[in-house]
Amino acid sequence: VTSSGFGVFGSDGPAQGRDVSRYVCVDLRETDEARITGHAPAASHLRALDGRMRAGALLTLLDNVGGLCGGLAALPDGWVVTTNLAAHIVDASASGPLRIDSHVLRTGRSSVVTAVSIHDEGAAGALLVTGVLTSSILVPEHGPPQWTRPVVLTTLVDDDAPAPPPIPEWLGVSPVDETTVAIDLAAPLRNPWGILHGGVVAMLVDLATEHVTGAMPADVVLHYLAPNRIGPVQASARGLGTRADGDVVRVEVRDVGADRVTAIGVVTARA
Amino acid sequence: VTATYPPDRHLLRDLRFSFDESADGTRHAFIPVVPEICGDDGSVRAGALATLVDVVGGGLAASTARPDWIATADLTLHLFAGARAGEVEAAARVLRAGRTTVVIEVGLRGNPLHGHARDVGIATMSFSVLPRRDSNPEVDEMRPVARSTMAVDGSGLAVPLLDALGAVVVDERGGRLEVPVTDWARNSMGAMQGGVVAMIAEAAGEAALRHAAAAPLVVADLQITYLSFGRVGPIETAVEVLACDAHSDGASIEVVDAGADHRRMALARVGATRRLP
Repeated sequence: VTSSGFGVFGSDGPAQGRDVSRYVCVDLRETDEARITGHAPAASHLRALDGRMRAGALLTLLDNVGGLCGGLAALPDGWVVTTNLAAHIVDASASGPLRIDSHVLRTGRSSVVTAVSIHDEGAAGALLVTGVLTSSILVPEHGPPQWTRPVVLTTLVDDDAPAPPPIPEWLGVSPVDETTVAIDLAAPLRNPWGILHGGVVAMLVDLATEHVTGAMPADVVLHYLAPNRIGPVQASARGLGTRADGDVVRVEVRDVGADRVTAIGVVTARA
Repeated sequence: VTATYPPDRHLLRDLRFSFDESADGTRHAFIPVVPEICGDDGSVRAGALATLVDVVGGGLAASTARPDWIATADLTLHLFAGARAGEVEAAARVLRAGRTTVVIEVGLRGNPLHGHARDVGIATMSFSVLPRRDSNPEVDEMRPVARSTMAVDGSGLAVPLLDALGAVVVDERGGRLEVPVTDWARNSMGAMQGGVVAMIAEAAGEAALRHAAAAPLVVADLQITYLSFGRVGPIETAVEVLACDAHSDGASIEVVDAGADHRRMALARVGATRRLP
C-alpha cells in the first residue's frame, strides 16, 4: 500500500520525511482523545493562478491531519497506511488561516476511518472541504512510532526564508503528452519510508486533471493501490463525460520505473 | 451466496438484476431501466445504480478475498450521463487485492433499446478483509456459463423504488427521511443492504438540495462511508447543505439506525447537477 498520513510521522522522529508538511506549513495538535486539529496559512504558493487554493494542497492538508488522527487511533499495536481519501471541496477561495479538524469515525480490527474538514478562519470559519480518510492498520517492522502525548508537531516556518515556489514548480512537474504529467521522485517528495508522499500523489492528480480539463477538482476520490518507490511517476487523466456543472475525469497514477499502477482517482472538475 | 439468500420476495430480485462474467474475470451485472427506478428527469437514480454497483462489486470482492470475508468500507459513484431506456450494465474489476483491503472499480454503461451504448458513470468500492466467521455466507465459486438472473416469477417493482422501501420524507428542508428495515431490503448478514443505504442517502441529499435550490436537482456524485450495520430501524437521515449556488450544489448526509440508539450507520456526501446529459 502507500504512504499519505503514514509518511509524515516516522519512528525516527518528526524531523525526517516532513518536507511535504513543511511545504504546506501545517502545525498539528492533539486536542482531545482521538481528535487532531491542524492550522496552516492559505499561503500564496499553495494557490492556483486564479487565486483559489489548489485542490492538491487542500487534500494534502486533509491527508496530513487525518493520517495522524488515524495513526494515533491505531496505537499501541500498530500504525496506519492511507488506503483511500474522498473529499468534497465546497469552496477553495480561502482567505486563511485554515483550520483542519479530524476525528475518528470508526476503529476496526484492520482499518481506521477518520472524518476531516477544513475551515477558513479568515471567513468566520466557513467550510471549505469535507472528507473521509480510510487507513489500514499494520505493524511496522520496528514497531509503531512512539509519541509524547498530547502530540504537538510544528513546522517551524522561517519567516525570513524566501517564499517556496508554487506547487507545479516545487514538484518539478512536466507534461508528457496531452493527457499525462510526470514528476521525478525527488527526495523532498518522499516520506520517511522513502516512498512518494500521499499528499504529493493528490497534488499530481490535481495537476493532471487541470492539464486535461483546465478545471479544478471539486469532488475527489483517490484510492492508493501501491507505493511509488522508483519513479518517474506519471498521472494520466481521461475525461469520461461532461455535465452542466463540470467534467468527470479518471486519473491513473503510475510508477513508471516499477511499471505498475499506484493510484486511481475519480474527479469531478469545475471551472 | 447461500441458496436461502435472497428470498423470493426481495429487492434484488425485484430489481431484476442479471449477471455474467468475461473471460478476463470482469464481472458484469445488468439492471433493466424501468420507470420505478428513475427520477423525475427520466434517468435511473444514483441510488439504484449504487445498489447495482454494491451487488456486483461486493460479489467480486467476496470471491477475491476467499477464504476470508469482507466488510464494505465505502462506495463512490460519479455519473456523467443519464440512462433512460434499455438496461444499465455494470462491469466490475479488481484494482487491488491486498492482505487487508480489496478495491474494486465499476464502469457503468447504458445499453438503450435503440441507438448506441454509452458510458454513463464510474464507481469505486473498497472493502476491509476480515477473518472468516462461521456466520459468514459461503461464496459460490461456480461461474455462470451464461447470463443468469436473480428474478423469479412475479419479480418486479409495482411502485417507485423509494415507496417500495417505505421511505417517508419527514422534512424536506433538513433531508429527514425515515425508512423501516424490512426483510425485503436486508443483506445476507441480516442488515439493511448497503446499496439501499446509499439510495436513502441519495434521496435525503436530493430532497434537501432541491428545497434549498428550488430546482429539480439530480444527484450525480455520491460518496458513502459505511460505519455500522442498520438492523433495527427505522433508519433516519439528516442533511447539511454545503453549497447551493450557480457553481456548486453539495450536501453531507448522516444515516443512523434510530432503533439502535441512533447508532451512526454511514456518512455520505453528494454533489448535484441540473440535469444529466
